[in-house]
Amino acid sequence: MSFWATVAGMLVVTFGSRYAGLALRAEPPPFWQRFLHFVPIAVFAALVTPSLAGPSGEGEMRLAAAALAAGAAWWTRQLWVALAVGMGVFWLLRIPL
Amino acid sequence: MAPLWLGVVPFGVAYAVLARDAGLSLLETQALSVLVFAGSAQLSAVGLFGAGAAGLEIVLTTLLLNVRHVLYGMALGRTVRLTSRQRPVAAYFLTDEAFGVAAASQRRTFAFLLGTELSLFATWNLATLGGGLLGAATPSPAELGLDFVFPLAFIALLVPLVRTRVELAVALASGVVAYVLARSLPGGLPILLTGVGGSLLGAWLTRTTPAPPAIDPASAIREVA
Repeated sequence: MSFWATVAGMLVVTFGSRYAGLALRAEPPPFWQRFLHFVPIAVFAALVTPSLAGPSGEGEMRLAAAALAAGAAWWTRQLWVALAVGMGVFWLLRIPL
Repeated sequence: MAPLWLGVVPFGVAYAVLARDAGLSLLETQALSVLVFAGSAQLSAVGLFGAGAAGLEIVLTTLLLNVRHVLYGMALGRTVRLTSRQRPVAAYFLTDEAFGVAAASQRRTFAFLLGTELSLFATWNLATLGGGLLGAATPSPAELGLDFVFPLAFIALLVPLVRTRVELAVALASGVVAYVLARSLPGGLPILLTGVGGSLLGAWLTRTTPAPPAIDPASAIREVA
């Protein structure tokens, strides 16, 4: 599938989800409502762990920086703070001593 | 409400920098923000593009991430009166943040909803443009380790969502399973399988909960995507 065909597919499923909710009158069964509640949690967690260590053999530094970023996200609930803490710690740890 | 718009900016910049890092052109990076306009789905898509995932896997991951909008739409459709012409317009620009603002506001009109949606659309697209240009000006993203922004951004999206023991269990189980699956399965398959499996686990673990968790506007705002 080419890039633009993929984008067209993403457009269709995204608009479809948004439109379906506004147009539908019936609610999904409780089990599937709970399923939808857990989707971002499961998908976000699944996106984190395989990409955490990275290709460059700096896995331990990245793991330490990610743990501090998670703490920052927990305390501040701000995306930019978590990014700043994570990248800042990572860059500090990489400085050769 | 200003923090809401400010919160979109670093997310949009991070998305665009990662998109350029994954090999997307400036036009392709911007096109996703105009045509798809869904932060977490765009971010996961560029990660999957970079990993060489199949187009179908990317589309299915997008569906999985965005199907929660069905719930927002239903909640909005009950409170804001929309004509059949207004509905597709309101739907195209609907995001978590717009839902959160509209659901928390007393002004439940199409004009107020669309104004909120369009201001977020404009902010997201300007942040994308800024990040795309920044990505082009960065000499060696690989040397700087900019790919690390990808897991960091999803950590920042994930952490505020985890408030109960079951949510923590689902997050930990999904993280471990995806890590193991990614060692043997290619592209986007580990994300898709884990996303469906983890959500089924969560729905099953909460089966004794009498009522499904109500859609809380404040939590929708926190979900930031």
